[in-house]
Amino acid sequence: MTVLETNLAGLELDNPVLSASGTFGSGWEGRQFSDLSTVGGLVSKTVTLKPRPGNPPPRILETPSGMLNAIGLENKGSEVFLRDSLPRMQELAESGQKDGKRGPRVIVNLGGSTAELVELTKRFCAAGVDALEINLSCPNVAHGTRSSTDPALTEEVIAAVKSVATVPVFAKLTPNITDVVPIAVAAHRGGADAVTLINTLVGMAVDWRRKKPVLGNTTGGLSGPAIKPVALRIVYQVRAALPDLPIVAVGGAHSAECVLEFVCAGASAVQFGTSLFSDPTLMVRVVNDLRDHLGEADTSIHELRSAMHESAARISTPGGASR
Amino acid sequence: MQSRVHVMQKLRDLGGGAYAVEVDGPIPETGPGQFYMLRTEKRWPVLLPRPFSLYDRGGDGSWGSFLVKPIGDGTRAICDLKVGEKLVVTGPLGRTFPTDVDNPICIAGGVGLAPFLLLARSEAAAGRKMRLLFGGRNRDALSGMEDFQDISTVFPSTDDGSHGFHGMVTGLLDELLVSGAVKEGETVFCCGPDPMMLAVADLCEKRGLRCFLSLESYMACGYGVCNGCTVKVKGERFKGWPYSKTCIEGPVYEACELVHDESH
Repeated sequence: MTVLETNLAGLELDNPVLSASGTFGSGWEGRQFSDLSTVGGLVSKTVTLKPRPGNPPPRILETPSGMLNAIGLENKGSEVFLRDSLPRMQELAESGQKDGKRGPRVIVNLGGSTAELVELTKRFCAAGVDALEINLSCPNVAHGTRSSTDPALTEEVIAAVKSVATVPVFAKLTPNITDVVPIAVAAHRGGADAVTLINTLVGMAVDWRRKKPVLGNTTGGLSGPAIKPVALRIVYQVRAALPDLPIVAVGGAHSAECVLEFVCAGASAVQFGTSLFSDPTLMVRVVNDLRDHLGEADTSIHELRSAMHESAARISTPGGASR
Repeated sequence: MQSRVHVMQKLRDLGGGAYAVEVDGPIPETGPGQFYMLRTEKRWPVLLPRPFSLYDRGGDGSWGSFLVKPIGDGTRAICDLKVGEKLVVTGPLGRTFPTDVDNPICIAGGVGLAPFLLLARSEAAAGRKMRLLFGGRNRDALSGMEDFQDISTVFPSTDDGSHGFHGMVTGLLDELLVSGAVKEGETVFCCGPDPMMLAVADLCEKRGLRCFLSLESYMACGYGVCNGCTVKVKGERFKGWPYSKTCIEGPVYEACELVHDESH
């Protein structure tokens, strides 16, 4: 393993840097700014079975160190995605498959009811994606987070998807719950190969002069650097409770340092979201910076992963014996 | 399209609190209405970059400038740059005003003037004088008007009557229709605050003028991935889809393509 390689639920990645769903289209939009062939993976915007027009505008608002969004899963549906977008993601992946590299892995994020997710899973596995991320946590659609606030439902949905999936399945969970651990346990029981932590935090903005919510959807999901500490905390808690369940971290990452912090907390890979709005070239630079940082510290992603947990275990073990 | 770091080389005061922020090249060829996302390289005080039309450009692309009025933390940080400090510039983004319109009537409000200087220059190069209707609250608010004086025919309007036509730019347009300086069937390009653009679009419809608007939408990414800058639309170009991403399908729309939503 090179210093940057990481294994995510059996999926080998050149490096742990991924785009986050809903923040980088299908990757194709960003290709004009930098060579994405060195990125670890691309995660699509959520695809639903049927087209969804999304929520009425205004849909976004910048807030201190973050932003609110209430897009509402606008997408043209699976048929159009399979025809137009997936081949482009696969073309980007192929561009990186040289000199022993795997290229950006193609990960498609899916949303919908259990029956729709099963159908989508079949279609996308047949189309040759590398992994699927199941969006159990969109805060901007009716009942969007229901399935990741109820453990029984989480397990049921993931088990249904897993029963037809032929590639690794990641369950993307909501932070809008007192304790994410029971939901992660349920996803694990349902057979999730990994969990993606975290989706956005539900928030709101008010225009007092107009006596109205700012967003067309009233509430929206908070993302950006403001939520990074929350994401780190949840990654850490889930890793501590479920050491064998791989974690994809997402929430406010904006630098190579952020990646290493999330890896220390227990993540196998890290997604970039809101930061790509400001800088579409960011992921490529982060990959290079990661190599420098790891070289300086003489360590690797593999070594660093869960480093905090192992040292915590050593401290709490009588006699200092390490696991 | 590119995302590059450029050096700020000049800050030109346009009056009324607005500036032309000039950066070094290369600045790609850019059509009127296309825009760039800007942020300072260091000490950017906000999260998202901000969209700006390209105001002016050296013919060889060796420099470009953006019309910026410091009203929030981001715009202030851009105007506070010292010569030699850097801006991250991403673009050109979006679609231009239609390029097949002869002698359009350009209507601008405030910093909505920005897309029209390059158009005025290209019209002047072709031996034509572009008509510019430029409205503001008062004389002071007509920032940048001097840049147009020699190369176009400027019709100013001020709400307080301190310069040019006394009243709104729509009143001025009506007057020019009466005088014959503007004729039915001609095409208007408009950029400015939403209420002004709505009023202009309304009047154009009533008077039989074709009208294109360049929207100043709130956006996060500028390159089509956030789905945050959408506006409600209708018309063939959108194939039945109710929303359009301003950053890639706009910011220029024909007025009849936009669905005005009263609630927001």
